[in-house]
Amino acid sequence: MSIQLSKEKIDEAILTIIANGGEGILQCVQCGACSAVCPGVRAGFPVLCRLLIKKLQEGQLEEIIEETSTWGCQACNRCTEVCPQGVRPLEVVFAFRRYQAKELAISTSSTLVQMTLYERGHAVFTDAQALRESVGLPGKAPTSAYDEKAQKEIQTLMDNSPMSELGLF
Amino acid sequence: MAKVGVYVCHCGSNIAGVIDVEAVRALAETLPDVTSAQSDLFMCSNSGQEMIKQDIQDGKVDRVVVAACTPRTHEPIFRNTCEAAGLNKYFFEMANIRDQSSWVHQHDPFGATEKAKLVVASAVGKAARLKPLEDKFVDVTKAAMVIGGGVAGIFSALELANLGYKTYLVEKEPSIGGIMAMLDKTFPTNDCSACILTPLMVDVGNHPNIELMTYSEVIDVDGYIGNFKVKVKKKQSYVDWNRCTGCAACSEVCPGRTSDVFNQGMSQRSATYIHFPQAVPKKAVIDMDACISCSGRRVGTAPTIDHKTGFPILAPCENACPSGAINLSINYDPFGEVVEVAVGTIIAATGYKVMEKDAFKEMAPSSPNVITALQLERIISATGPTGGQLLRPSDNTRPKTINFLSCMGSRDVRHHTYCSRICCMYMVKQARLIKEKYPDINIFIHFIDVRTAGKGYDEYYTGARRMGIHILKGKVGGIQKVGDETLRVLAYDMESQENIEIESDLVVLATAIELPESTKTLAQTLGLQFDGSGFFRELHPKLGPVETSTQGIFLAGCCQGPKDIPDTVSQAKAAAAAAAIPLAQGHVRIAPTISEIHPEKCSGCGICVPLCPYFAITLKTWGDRPRAEIDITQCKGCGVCTATCPSGAIVLHGFEEEQIMAQIEALTR
Ligand SMILES: Cc1cc2nc3c(=O)[nH]c(=O)nc-3n(C[C@H](O)[C@H](O)[C@H](O)COP(=O)(O)OP(=O)(O)OC[C@H]3O[C@@H](n4cnc5c(N)ncnc54)[C@H](O)[C@@H]3O)c2cc1C
Ligand code: SF4
Ligand code: SF4
Ligand code: SF4
Ligand code: SF4
Repeated sequence: MSIQLSKEKIDEAILTIIANGGEGILQCVQCGACSAVCPGVRAGFPVLCRLLIKKLQEGQLEEIIEETSTWGCQACNRCTEVCPQGVRPLEVVFAFRRYQAKELAISTSSTLVQMTLYERGHAVFTDAQALRESVGLPGKAPTSAYDEKAQKEIQTLMDNSPMSELGLF
Repeated sequence: MAKVGVYVCHCGSNIAGVIDVEAVRALAETLPDVTSAQSDLFMCSNSGQEMIKQDIQDGKVDRVVVAACTPRTHEPIFRNTCEAAGLNKYFFEMANIRDQSSWVHQHDPFGATEKAKLVVASAVGKAARLKPLEDKFVDVTKAAMVIGGGVAGIFSALELANLGYKTYLVEKEPSIGGIMAMLDKTFPTNDCSACILTPLMVDVGNHPNIELMTYSEVIDVDGYIGNFKVKVKKKQSYVDWNRCTGCAACSEVCPGRTSDVFNQGMSQRSATYIHFPQAVPKKAVIDMDACISCSGRRVGTAPTIDHKTGFPILAPCENACPSGAINLSINYDPFGEVVEVAVGTIIAATGYKVMEKDAFKEMAPSSPNVITALQLERIISATGPTGGQLLRPSDNTRPKTINFLSCMGSRDVRHHTYCSRICCMYMVKQARLIKEKYPDINIFIHFIDVRTAGKGYDEYYTGARRMGIHILKGKVGGIQKVGDETLRVLAYDMESQENIEIESDLVVLATAIELPESTKTLAQTLGLQFDGSGFFRELHPKLGPVETSTQGIFLAGCCQGPKDIPDTVSQAKAAAAAAAIPLAQGHVRIAPTISEIHPEKCSGCGICVPLCPYFAITLKTWGDRPRAEIDITQCKGCGVCTATCPSGAIVLHGFEEEQIMAQIEALTR
């Protein structure tokens, strides 16, 4: 597969990222230091920091709209720390994520998380009742996970937030 | 009545691309005093210059205005044209319609053309009132000084000395050699650094025309091109160099210890030491900061007399010296011995320093197994701390995996934005040298991109790949310490778009080259400027690469910017040639466009004296009262005094009142 480079597409991608807060995108010289330290890349999300910037600089905004790598960013900001050109790659990642969210192209890896949050008040939930009891702790931890009233409160909050517009819950 | 010729240049499309040249020429024709107005594609070309000469020889014009690029590069050319046609060359005036019109008003061709017309009119107004001036000449001192004794200074000095000029070579360390003396082998031919440098150092030491002043520093420079007076401080060494034979008996007995700078802190040396085994001159010095007064006697005091033997009790170093060269009774003198030498020209060749690893926090600088490339150079050098054995610092074992990290502090907005130019090549060199000797060591080099553009360099780099050295595209982001000894390099491989982690026993940082803090004071003493990267600024990046804006002071080597040995040597020879010109000519020309005081009008108020930025004015008693006088060798023609003199006693030749007024009139008509 080859990609077609065009000025219009490149401009659109760059301006979209800048408008969403990724001002440093044009400063990147593709050295790769950011990706070298990125825990997301290490975990197997390749299109983060350097490669994301590369693709956007080539105008591949729509082509990668379904890319799930960006949702692997842990916001640790190490990329910003090591970038020799002052790009602040995290901001580019987040700018692209904002664009994805606005276009409702949200990865399942993150929709699941939000649905769990809506239902149980935890983004990530594992039922540990048996394990807790085996070490002599009360099975149900005192959190929203086992408290319907707290769950209702969280759902009310989320229903009234912009997140509800995503139509996930 | 003056007859002014106006010549408007297209400068290819530089001017004509924006400005309506014909409109400017037509306007010129209508100006008072103008007797010829022409244009040409390139006025500086032969045909353009012939046009001017023809008009002069035909008697058509006797004042010349060229409307063109810039006087910075082209004024001398057109002055010579006038002179060749028999006209006084100061009857020439340049109208800068490129820098001042076509370049700055690119997007407004009409406005640019109108402005160019004004600029030309103003030049014509001035030209019509120009007066003939004659160049002045002063004799020069036929000797030169080279500051800094690295490979740049060595070549500059040898070149000048071979041309027959007395040359002073000033070096702050006890020996010449600079950083090249610390290197193991040198790319791209892998010849041993010491083997090619030492004979040259010896030549310097023996040359009848070179006076070697090591362990010395320049503290003051006075004067001007052709006649500089330089004060040099010889640091106090406590060793009489006339007697010292370089046997090193003193350093063998000295118990004082300090970090060995020559070995990049990888070993210790004694307080009394010889810089390195091949030092030139091979003389010992005592480093007073490291001397522990081991004999119990304070330095600068006489030794106590042993009541049994009746002999003085000397320090071990004094005792050990077979030629009695050491005397610790001399008082410490922070000023050292100051000598003054007279020279005609000066070359600054003060070199560079490499950044220390401490600046790179993410690269685990606290680990002894993270080292700078210059430290590695000492480790693999036969004269280094391990006798040339490749051993890692933490436990003196041979590393199995080595990672080289490029661009540490170079091409990085947090440190230096420039490329240090030599690291790509020396990393490849060091990797090759290690691979040749120990083929089982696994070597990785991490690059943003490889820069090997010199003669024979790319072949050298390709050779490294063929030897099985792994070259990875991608800047290393950080290093983690795994236990005490091992390091984990967090790298990225751009080709496979994947992160890689490499366990490594030794990591080498290619740290950036920069101007050492200490040479910044020297720059002030010499009146030098810095460029955007912090190195000494040359006169012109392309056309004046060894000259500086201070006439008579030249640059060679890494103090002007990062460069390898081939480039350093080329520049050193070029600087020597440039520095020899005034010496060969025997006199220097002084432009007559400088200020002159008319003593009969001077009231002796002295206001001009402190205002002159070049200290050119003094008050002298003439007959009954004080009057100002300008030293023509110091005056730069800035005009500050002219503008301030309340008696109107100062004339700036070439910028006289009548001339300036005519310009203002033309511009405000
Ligand atoms: C790790 C490493 C490996 C390298 N390997 C190679 C290689 O293989 N091949 C190659 O071509 N290049 C190599 N280089 C580059 C090489 O070192 C330089 O090109 C060369 O040394 C530049 O010489 P220089 O005379 O300009 O500077 P320097 O060697 O720095 O000499 C400057 C001299 O001036 C003296 N000085 C400084 N200030 C003053 C002062 N105020 N008064 C008096 N004296 C003063 C200093 O003491 C020093 O002796 C390497 C560099 C490094 C860091
Ligand atoms: S902030 Fe995000 S993109 Fe940057 S290094 Fe951390 S995880 Fe990677
Ligand atoms: S570290 Fe900075 S310059 Fe290098 S690839 Fe990442 S964003 Fe680009
Ligand atoms: S020479 Fe190579 S390693 Fe050194 S700064 Fe330039 S690119 Fe980076
Ligand atoms: S013209 Fe400038 S440099 Fe010359 S004497 Fe006057 S103030 Fe000094």
